[in-house]
Amino acid sequence: MKIDETITNTVKKLVMDITSLPEDKLTETAKFVEELGVDSMMALEIVAATEKKFRVVIPEEEIAKTRSIGDIYRLLEKLLK
Amino acid sequence: MPQNWTIEDIQNFLPHRYPFLFVDKILSIDATAGKAVCAKNFTINDYFFKGHFPGKPIVPGVIITEALAQSAIILFSQLKPEIARRHPDYLLAKTEMRFKKPVFPGDILLMEVTAIKILSNAGIIGVTAKVGDSLVAEGILSFGIVLKAAHE
Repeated sequence: MKIDETITNTVKKLVMDITSLPEDKLTETAKFVEELGVDSMMALEIVAATEKKFRVVIPEEEIAKTRSIGDIYRLLEKLLK
Repeated sequence: MPQNWTIEDIQNFLPHRYPFLFVDKILSIDATAGKAVCAKNFTINDYFFKGHFPGKPIVPGVIITEALAQSAIILFSQLKPEIARRHPDYLLAKTEMRFKKPVFPGDILLMEVTAIKILSNAGIIGVTAKVGDSLVAEGILSFGIVLKAAHE
């Protein structure tokens, strides 16, 4: 499934709610930890909120590879197929 | 996984000891459903009633939160036994609690903890505490797990 704008906006809102980051900082490639100051517990909250919202299960091995909001879009594209 | 949990089994998984061990009994654990029910009996002999409050003993909310966090560790130990066997440090990271009713000496706190997301190094757990059928507290707890070798 190709990710549409509704999904990307939902993910963006969910990440903004948890991290309190402004929308303009959440570019597709900005690295959560290195560039945006997201800590590991916030990352876990993002994972749990994404799972709940989209009714998917994100495997633990995918979490370490998910380093930007663009990675979340690509992961959802795979999981929502 | 122990079938009938003894206090020794609980202490095998929880590093806490007197005066900070707040799980007396495991009533049920369903690893498949990611759920556990534990109990804590409060008595007037508990040390904190002396100061909270003089003449009007009420279980502090932080103690209820701690009891729920310890129940969450018990659940984690059954969902990730290979990690729990290594006796890691469990560090509370975030609490979102709502307290509905006070808990008094003589009350048996029934704590139900449900996994929202469990990883090898962290977890988010939904928690509720009841006295009888009455909900006294509910919330979400997040914690991190640090293996001893990782910070030696």
